[in-house]
Amino acid sequence: MTASEQNEQTILAALRQVIDPEIGCNIVDLGLVYSYAFNAGKVTVVMTLTTPGCPMHESISWGVKNALMNIEGITEAEVDIVWDPPWNPSMMTEVGRRMTGTGNF
Amino acid sequence: MEATLPKSATVNRAVPRVTPQTQPFGATAPSSTLPLLFTITGLLALFLGAGWIVVQPDILAMYHYSPAAIAATHLFVLGWLCSIVMGAMYQLVPVALETKLFSERLAQIQFAFHLIGFVGMVWAFSVWNPKSVALFGAVLAVGVALFIYNIARTLLRVPKWNVIATSVASAIGWVLLAVAAGLVVAVAKSYSESLPTLAGWVFRFDPIGAMHAHAHLGAIGFFLILIVGVSYKLIPMFTLSELQNPRRAAWSVILLNTGLAGSFVTILLRSPWKLAFTLVVIAALVLYALELRAILRARKRAAMDWGVRGFLTAVSFMFPLSIIAAVLSWPGLPVNTYTMQLENVYGFLGLVGVVSFAIIGMLYKIIPFIVWFGTYSHHIGRAQVPSLAELYSARLQIISYWIFLAGLLTTLLAMEFSNVVAVRCGTGLLAASLAVFGFNVATMLRHFVRPQLKPLPKTSVNRAIL
Repeated sequence: MTASEQNEQTILAALRQVIDPEIGCNIVDLGLVYSYAFNAGKVTVVMTLTTPGCPMHESISWGVKNALMNIEGITEAEVDIVWDPPWNPSMMTEVGRRMTGTGNF
Repeated sequence: MEATLPKSATVNRAVPRVTPQTQPFGATAPSSTLPLLFTITGLLALFLGAGWIVVQPDILAMYHYSPAAIAATHLFVLGWLCSIVMGAMYQLVPVALETKLFSERLAQIQFAFHLIGFVGMVWAFSVWNPKSVALFGAVLAVGVALFIYNIARTLLRVPKWNVIATSVASAIGWVLLAVAAGLVVAVAKSYSESLPTLAGWVFRFDPIGAMHAHAHLGAIGFFLILIVGVSYKLIPMFTLSELQNPRRAAWSVILLNTGLAGSFVTILLRSPWKLAFTLVVIAALVLYALELRAILRARKRAAMDWGVRGFLTAVSFMFPLSIIAAVLSWPGLPVNTYTMQLENVYGFLGLVGVVSFAIIGMLYKIIPFIVWFGTYSHHIGRAQVPSLAELYSARLQIISYWIFLAGLLTTLLAMEFSNVVAVRCGTGLLAASLAVFGFNVATMLRHFVRPQLKPLPKTSVNRAIL
């Protein structure tokens, strides 16, 4: 595994530490994270939430920031919440579907 | 370097973005204290009310036009249901309608008026002191006016009007009428000498008909319309589904409003047209049931937790409730002990079986959220935090669900046959179920005092690559 791939794994692992407390699944396997970019110690995550007006909105976005800042070597973290495209359960990973008992596609 | 996850979709960058930088933590988040105050007040009133009917089961075994029955009903409706619903509205209306509460300060002031008003009213009813009922009713009404103003101003901020906003707007309109109607009757009874015109007008109506009309304004206008409207947001949210037919949903709320307006007038006047408007309300509930079924069929989350199941069980009780409503509205219904007691069964099934059971189901969502938000929201990403479902015992929740059903069925049958001993058994079961529920609530609240946080593993990245 290259160092770049290793970093990617580390960032994903950190993001997996952030759960959506209502659904009880981490945001990566829920498919809430659309993309992330890292450059010179700064990470930018583009993500969504399961529904606009989600009561956990601020908690989750701050949780993402906290999880990323917890990684040694990251000095800045930015979280962009977007609503387009809207999230739907087909964006979940297989792990996420198993964790939430999601089906019916 | 940019990484894109396998399941992601193309992001439209033109859409306005919300970032933690532009929206600091806590800026729009609802405060936990206010809904918690209302919730705890509501729960105390519920436990007190449950204890009261266990000690005095004749309240339910006899016709409900008595000081004790009216006092217990107001403890239950104002102390338990209104406290919980108002607290939940302060929390959920901004969430469901994607806006901010107009004024939290106003809501705190309302809480004081609400508490003094309903405690005083329950006492005044129990000792049958109409002047004090009017006095404390006025205090409560000031609180309700503040509540309505706050929610109305919040609704004005709603970016996109929808069926949920319509139901909330209808509900606050009906609660205003319900409180006004109750207050007018109380004032007319207390000050008939100094206000002869008002008293003369009020006394033209049959007092039991007026009481029933007032009760329907509150029960259907405030509680039922809110349950219907808010569930169009919450059930899809909890089951990972979507509203399937917005027109059908809108018609269910329109018909509920129409049916209630007609029912109020026809109940008040004891008109034979009552049945027609009962059928309009039933048509609204059929549309609601069809929409709910469609939402559940389209859900992506196969397993339903017991909070949602409890809510849906309560909704299913709308079916027998509708049948009883139609029977009681029948123009040629004979007047005998059984049909009179059926009115008690109707009221108890509506307020306890439908409204309270639905609220208890939703409280398994609302209280964990309030506790989680107050205890863990600042730790997410810094420490391992529990999910909402881990804040209480699902096993105890299931136990209390089944005991509640057994208690409800026993009480309803016992009420119909005016059997005091059986009513005590039924309400005893309900009280036992509520005790288990109370224990579970205490388990949730304990997280405020003893948070369950676990450290996260420390990781690092290769800075050369970053």
